Amino acid sequence: MPNSFVLRADERGYNKILSTGATATYVGGHPDAFITRFSSFNFGDYQDGRAGFGRVRVFGDEAFHHPGCNYNMHPHHNFIICAFVLEGRLTHINTLGGMEDLVSGDYYAFSAGSGGLHEELNRYAEPMRAIYVWMLPDQLYLPPSYARGHFDAAAGMNRITPLLGDAAGAIKLSQDARVSRLVADGPGGFRYRPRSAGHGVYAFVIDGTLHCDGATLKRRDSSGVWGAEEIVYETGRGDTDILLVETII
Amino acid sequence: MTGDALKRWICLGCGFSYDEALGLPEHGLPPGTRWRDIADDWVCPDCGTPKARFEMIEIPYADGQPRAAA
Repeated sequence: MPNSFVLRADERGYNKILSTGATATYVGGHPDAFITRFSSFNFGDYQDGRAGFGRVRVFGDEAFHHPGCNYNMHPHHNFIICAFVLEGRLTHINTLGGMEDLVSGDYYAFSAGSGGLHEELNRYAEPMRAIYVWMLPDQLYLPPSYARGHFDAAAGMNRITPLLGDAAGAIKLSQDARVSRLVADGPGGFRYRPRSAGHGVYAFVIDGTLHCDGATLKRRDSSGVWGAEEIVYETGRGDTDILLVETII
Repeated sequence: MTGDALKRWICLGCGFSYDEALGLPEHGLPPGTRWRDIADDWVCPDCGTPKARFEMIEIPYADGQPRAAA
């Protein structure tokens, strides 16, 4: 029997992290700069929700406000940290030598493995919005790695496009997990077959309306379904934009 | 494998891992120090996340690991 949950946008954890005061070493930038973070799963001071989903531990819907707003350079191990840029311009800097700008449709996967540092920065006045996803790796202390990709919404219209995982053209992950994007310009039915009954899919509505497993999801709502042979996602009228994260449960 | 086998824990703030078999000698925790014997107010040496926000994991090491953790 399939299992599922629905998480409404306003049920998520929320943090506003200032670039002044006690969090000034964590978040930098113009004195007015701040980061807003909606967390689907427990992270930081938000500990009232779900611990995660499968191998996913962090799902953050974040916005960096005002020039210079950043997470200062800080260390990680092990986690596979992925960012999907929705709006604005993200400057990502890491200790593998990467320093690059990512704009809407761009994404990266940074596997911290045996150790790596990164900084996430918005250099501009317009907000930078991105989804951050952290996954546990399938082995500890792997060699660190970084790769970036781009999702072309026009080319990917009205179908499910793999971004990360073992599909052709996707960035490989050291985990039994896959991330895909579904954009549609009107009503449609899209079938997703998880790898096995032991896999689940977390569907996050970036924008639009999605019907799934008897629930209607609106902007920033999400659902998790596991134990299903097939999941049917029905998009609503207008434009719909969905991020799908499949993971071994 | 007994229920009392040495275990590994991961910091949910940054991914730092603690292995009971290895301890953290540079932080005063000799090899074999059990997680339960570490003070409740201990925090992640890398990011300051409280001990309560670590998760016990059963993830194997990559080939050639662990070396002295970076």
